[in-house]
Amino acid sequence: MAAVKWVWRYLTGEILVLPTRLAAVLICLGLLLLPLLTQDPYLLRVAALASLLAVFAASWDLLSGFAGQVNLGHALFFGVAAYTSALLNLKLGLTPWLTIPAGALTAVLTALLVGVPCLRLKGPYLALATLAFPIMLTGLIFAFPSFFGGELGVSGLTRLGRTRVREYYLTLGAMLVLTTAMWKITESRLGIIFHAIREDEVAVRASGINTTRYKLLAFSLSGFFAGLAGGMYAHFLRIAGPSLLAMFFSFQAIIWTIFGGAATIYGPVVGVFVLYPALEILRVVKEIRMLGFALLVLVLLRFMPEGLVPWLEHRLEPECPRCRARNAFTRRACRVCGTAVRRLARRQEVAPPL
Amino acid sequence: MRRVTCLLLVAVLVGSLFGASGCRKQAVGPPTIKIGIAGPMAFIQGEHHWAGATMAMEEINAAGGVQVGGEKWLIELVKIDTNEILSPEDAATAVERAITVDKVDFLIGGFRTEGVFPMTEVAMDHQKIFMIAGAATNELLVGRVDTNYDRYKYLFRVTPIRSTDLAKICFEMLGYTGAILRQVLGAQRLRVAILAEQLQWNEALIAGAQQMLPALLGMDVVGVWRPSATATDVTAELTAIKAAGAHIIFQINSGPVGITCARQWGELEIPAVMQGINVEAQKLGFWQATRGYGNYETTLNTYGRVSINETTMPFYNAFVERFGEAPAYTAGAHQAIEILVAAIERAGTLDSDAVVAELEKTDVIGPTGRLVFDALHDVTWGPAHVTGIVTQWQDGEMVVVWPFPGWQGLNYEGIKPYAIPPRVIQYWMSR
Amino acid sequence: MLANILVTGLMNAGVYALLAVGFSLIFGAARIINLSHTAFYMAAAFAMFYLTVTRGLNVYLAIPIALAIVAVLGTIVYKLIIDPLREHEATVLIVTLATAILFQEGLLLGFGGHYRGVPSLWAGYTTLLGVRVTYQYLLTLAVVIVASTCLWALLQHSRLGIAIRATAQDREVANLMGMDVSRVATVAMVIGVVLAGVAGVMVAPIYVLEPHMWQPPMVTILAVVVLGGLGSIKGSFIGAVILALAEVLVVFLVPQGAFLKAALALTLMLAILLIRPEGLFGVLFEGER
Repeated sequence: MAAVKWVWRYLTGEILVLPTRLAAVLICLGLLLLPLLTQDPYLLRVAALASLLAVFAASWDLLSGFAGQVNLGHALFFGVAAYTSALLNLKLGLTPWLTIPAGALTAVLTALLVGVPCLRLKGPYLALATLAFPIMLTGLIFAFPSFFGGELGVSGLTRLGRTRVREYYLTLGAMLVLTTAMWKITESRLGIIFHAIREDEVAVRASGINTTRYKLLAFSLSGFFAGLAGGMYAHFLRIAGPSLLAMFFSFQAIIWTIFGGAATIYGPVVGVFVLYPALEILRVVKEIRMLGFALLVLVLLRFMPEGLVPWLEHRLEPECPRCRARNAFTRRACRVCGTAVRRLARRQEVAPPL
Repeated sequence: MRRVTCLLLVAVLVGSLFGASGCRKQAVGPPTIKIGIAGPMAFIQGEHHWAGATMAMEEINAAGGVQVGGEKWLIELVKIDTNEILSPEDAATAVERAITVDKVDFLIGGFRTEGVFPMTEVAMDHQKIFMIAGAATNELLVGRVDTNYDRYKYLFRVTPIRSTDLAKICFEMLGYTGAILRQVLGAQRLRVAILAEQLQWNEALIAGAQQMLPALLGMDVVGVWRPSATATDVTAELTAIKAAGAHIIFQINSGPVGITCARQWGELEIPAVMQGINVEAQKLGFWQATRGYGNYETTLNTYGRVSINETTMPFYNAFVERFGEAPAYTAGAHQAIEILVAAIERAGTLDSDAVVAELEKTDVIGPTGRLVFDALHDVTWGPAHVTGIVTQWQDGEMVVVWPFPGWQGLNYEGIKPYAIPPRVIQYWMSR
Repeated sequence: MLANILVTGLMNAGVYALLAVGFSLIFGAARIINLSHTAFYMAAAFAMFYLTVTRGLNVYLAIPIALAIVAVLGTIVYKLIIDPLREHEATVLIVTLATAILFQEGLLLGFGGHYRGVPSLWAGYTTLLGVRVTYQYLLTLAVVIVASTCLWALLQHSRLGIAIRATAQDREVANLMGMDVSRVATVAMVIGVVLAGVAGVMVAPIYVLEPHMWQPPMVTILAVVVLGGLGSIKGSFIGAVILALAEVLVVFLVPQGAFLKAALALTLMLAILLIRPEGLFGVLFEGER
């Protein structure tokens, strides 16, 4: 009874009061219940792929949005894990339950390999140096075609799940668990240190924090999450090919993240779930599919430079000028301290009382 | 104000999207067989898939349609842009969409092997017949149809011939031109440079050439150069090849590097004949793309100005007249539809398994030759079946130079003699 | 062999340098990583194709038109898209990428995925140190030298050049000194894309034209500018020579690995970056101390 009461209070006090939280809960519920409505394999496929790509984009956000280590070659972690899983599955016959974690571990090792030399680099130098790694690995893959399969990749892997619905729940579950984990990391003390490193690394070091260790931690955590997504992606598509290492694939993670809102974790998830299906809807106008995509990104970012989610948050949930709590746009008074918010939010130059 | 404009723009964008999807007309009249044409539609390969298929559809529908059991059915084509050149993953999603949303009954197409693998897997999942028209890799059928027939029996290939057969023609052609070169330049041991894009599909061909050329044809391989398939400059490679003293450049290129190679080969007047496989040289646009420097370029081909049988020239001419381009091998979608329709009519049903049984009995004369599927559901190669041809660019014309008259007793009408670039003769005679 | 490597390497270095210098200029003055830089180069090449082949215009008339088109496109892109978003660094990166895709798709729609060729400005070839070099390459090299000399003179001896260099060195102080930083950035952007346009016009007859041709050189020039030091014009030149020579060396010494030239050039870039984290001639920017 007490538990029900607690849940109810949590629901009314924390979730129902804010439109974005309500929307998030409703969307999660909707996704979980989707197979009850339709089992169309195409729809489930798009949703499953979007789930995996959401983890991929969020892992970029963890490393680049939060810790500020801008990585333009993020596909490296995804691709390394995909290839590792694929090769272990095909050559040694391991099950996906083993190959996917193994792929993630390889991605962590790769992240450390990339992270250590990149510790000396800053800003655009770091960004452009990281761009080089996936291209170098692609060279390696083409250099040993008999092992890596060259441009054909490694195909014929075990399916992620026996049925499409099962695969859908596996990927959706992974997405919910992994992005929540990433979100919790950014909310923790670790997240604060990441944030501080992004803002002023020298100051963090001056406070006696070993920034090297934390930057490497950011690289390996990001690699781990991207790796899990990469391994599952390979088993879902049953192929790992060099296009997973392509420059454009790395950039896609950034497009999704910036579009949704960087340094939020949920921003990239929203970005993927908006843009990836949008690209599918755009199939009806085949000739201008990518053109429409580019225009959509351009126009939206032109008017919402911070990304979709922060833009919506600003509109739907003005901050209380006094206690900084967020309030639904419908409220006239702050839900925490009772200050009148509506008019003040409109005229932000008015100084808060006290 | 700015917000309003922004919202309006987004609204218009989204609205136009849904508008475009909403105004799909509902079909009325006789029932239709939906055939999905899968190819990279922004590229010439996809365009030719679609062009070939359109021709076949119009011919069949104009003749009254397809007799399925007691009913006449019309053919409806569904364009599937697989985007496989840029993203092979996209291809599988596109095909799954065609099967589940557009409800296509059969699939034809495919170009890049790495895209065809995931595409055909999806088709097999849904037990739909997929007729490959555009990818040569053996492994698309080997290791699938033979080892797991129940799953992969829905897979057939119409064009081109498999890559090991392509290799056979390459060696035939090298032997033929080698003999001519020896005769013209005086008896000497010929040196061959292999210039092949770095892709998996030509690996076996290169390994084969390195072994076969010295052993069978008495030619030395002076080196293998592997530029990337999208390289925009091969001056360094060509300079190195000239320095190595090659008489013949054996090229195996499917990507745009084929144009770069041919153009710079002509512009730098590299004194070696160039032949092998150059997919770009199979198109009429090749002459413009190389600004004429691709003169004397020789490549394997599928369609050309030659009468393999009475169906070849009518198809070739109709295609050129209508689309202003020579049909690429992906235009084999045309023949694929004809074969498929014949099998459906014999089976009297659209049921995949029944149609497969009838497809296996196919034995027809088509523009490429007599087409019979072997046990692997692949094209049977040989003088009595499909041979493939070799074309050469001669002063702006794409002429057919092989099978030369008398090869295996064949004597196709319209074969022209093979020409050696004068600069090659000049260079080697002056030494 | 050595002559082969030197001559071929130098020819390639010219094209890389022309592209990299423009990129560097834009980065220095406007502090943006312009991923659409080579898209302008592609636009110029396609403009040349359209004007000379489709329209049958005289080549020497087509060149200024093509450059003008690129300059106008550059101004539009900067004013409409980049300038309003300049505060958001990552967003700028993405919108420049989206711009490049827009160019690519626009050209794909207009010209299709066919491969095209443009006639040489000067056909034929000559023999240099026993190596065959097309006149077009020599011409390109000459244009590179002329263009960079002009740029150098502009940067060193004109008020505008001083303003660009001042903005590149310290944006805030330049602003405080009364310079219209935004205008300086616009001008730098236009000069930069016109340089890319010049490269496109010169290279159009050498390379194969197709709507994805902007991607491979983008990676190369990113490597060049990082190697030479971001924002350093001198560095861009030296970086271009080093990378071009490294690529040619690979082709000549390991013919089987010619496709690896990009990967190996990038490895070289990383190695140099590890020794000198700000590139060979990198400038330390304010706020990055």
